Amino acid sequence: MQTLSLKKLFNFEKTPLNVVMAFTTVALLAAFMAGAVAYILHGHHVYNVTRQHPWGLLIAMYVFFVVSSTGLCIISSIGHVFGIPEFQQIGKRAIAGAIITISAGFAVIGLEIGHPMTMLIYNVLTPGLTSAIWWMGTLYGLYLTFICLEFFFLAIKVNHTFSKIFGICGLLVGLAAHSNLGAVFGFLISRPSANGVFYPVYFILSAMITGCYLVFLMYGFRYKMNFPEKIVIMLVKLSKVLGMLLAVLIFFEAWKILTALYGDMPERAVTILHAIKHPNFWFGELILGMLIPFVIILVSNAKAIKATVYASITGMVGIFFMRYDLVHDTLLYPMTTLKRAEYQVAPTFVEYFPSAAEFAIGFGGIGLALFMYYLADKVFNLDESSNH
Amino acid sequence: MARYGMALNYKNCINCRACESACKEENGVLLLKDHYRIWVGVKEAEGQFPNISIASQTYHPSQCQHCDNAPCQQVCPTNATYYGEGGMVMVDPTKCILCTYCINACPYDARYVDTRTNTVDKCTFCSDTRLANGETTTACQATCPTKVRVFGDLDDPNSEISVLLANKEYRQVKEHLGTKPKLFYIL
Repeated sequence: MQTLSLKKLFNFEKTPLNVVMAFTTVALLAAFMAGAVAYILHGHHVYNVTRQHPWGLLIAMYVFFVVSSTGLCIISSIGHVFGIPEFQQIGKRAIAGAIITISAGFAVIGLEIGHPMTMLIYNVLTPGLTSAIWWMGTLYGLYLTFICLEFFFLAIKVNHTFSKIFGICGLLVGLAAHSNLGAVFGFLISRPSANGVFYPVYFILSAMITGCYLVFLMYGFRYKMNFPEKIVIMLVKLSKVLGMLLAVLIFFEAWKILTALYGDMPERAVTILHAIKHPNFWFGELILGMLIPFVIILVSNAKAIKATVYASITGMVGIFFMRYDLVHDTLLYPMTTLKRAEYQVAPTFVEYFPSAAEFAIGFGGIGLALFMYYLADKVFNLDESSNH
Repeated sequence: MARYGMALNYKNCINCRACESACKEENGVLLLKDHYRIWVGVKEAEGQFPNISIASQTYHPSQCQHCDNAPCQQVCPTNATYYGEGGMVMVDPTKCILCTYCINACPYDARYVDTRTNTVDKCTFCSDTRLANGETTTACQATCPTKVRVFGDLDDPNSEISVLLANKEYRQVKEHLGTKPKLFYIL
């Protein structure tokens, strides 16, 4: 940990990339603040969520952030929990990223949950043990505690035994929390397109992919594409892992879609068909999120590190669409299909587009994460220590 | 102990929506979009002009089904949704955190956000506004001009609803989900 003056804290090398990142961060932070103020003044009225579509962009962004956090935690554990030497250098940076992304996620969900303080009280006093949200929230609270302790023993008071113990605890609790987040959707018996085992498993898989993308992005930015040999070796191996994970994801998705369409089961088939025809899926999820990174890794035999860093940007955009579609596609099919007024068209698929406040808070959360990452990078030495 | 339910002679419904108005008046439901505890669904006539089946146009009054196995209750993280007296599915606004998971989980679109309390609201079978005052009917039942609704105790074999269900065929909505709904549509 370094002692810094405020002047030093906000002083950085004025390269074009750094300046663009600084402006982006400040603009997103300002958007977050503006969205938060609008929400505090007007409540849920500033969101475009409705009775038929009660969850929207903010839930998607919360999932986006916690998926990122769990992914970084899993990828970091390859090194300092499972002991693969090349990956040990990721540890501090990835765990810092995990803490930052889940904190950004909590900030976003804090502005979506109507009564966060009531939640803290009654989560303890009258816990709903059959609720996946209760388990997810409680386990994520525990997970944050463990990864904070892990980071403390990795970066502040270095103790590899403790960092490994808390690393294992954080990993196990994080996996449990994250699959419970999948179960939040998987347990919905009213939504045949989401109901089932797929999401709790898929969430872990997509978290690992997100973790890989973020590690590529963090290292790409850290070394400005001039990677030392040690980092190249690690990133080539990570790239191979990412390629395999993407292949599994594509395989999973293909079978999810085929089983959903097969037999034309009421509600499910028509919902999935509607979803996969939308550009959000075939362009956002499939091309940006899966195919571009996968093809680059495949064609270059996982050696094109710089290209994979750029592909990680499209990958993260794809991951965003995966999270958005997760929420929107789950709620696509109306729960009552009869019209409620005489001169009205019968309900079809539920429509939703986020409001300005939702965009501001949701994407503003990215600014929050970037700002916290900047501070963490300044205050702590996130590179591998020489005595590691 | 009582187990309340409601039978609906839905084929008698004339879509006058007196039930919707009575519910709003009795329970203080706001006159806003998305704010409704009960509603009447309109099933359009089938066929093409001039061969339109007038008989196929029916009205389906609906509301919370007060399921015996309610998905909304299972998913509530703070037990704000609970089974009240008579097996009615109720919401305790002091415990509701407005995560709206229950709205997602309900297969019947029976829940909405009350913007006054900023908590989830739904049909209570008028338990606090009428049953607590000794009434034996709900507002929607009392006001219905064609006597579509019959509210009562399903565990009492002599109650009007039990006699009706024993002698008539009925269907339930989305019962394949295992929710055990307590609204019965008389065929």
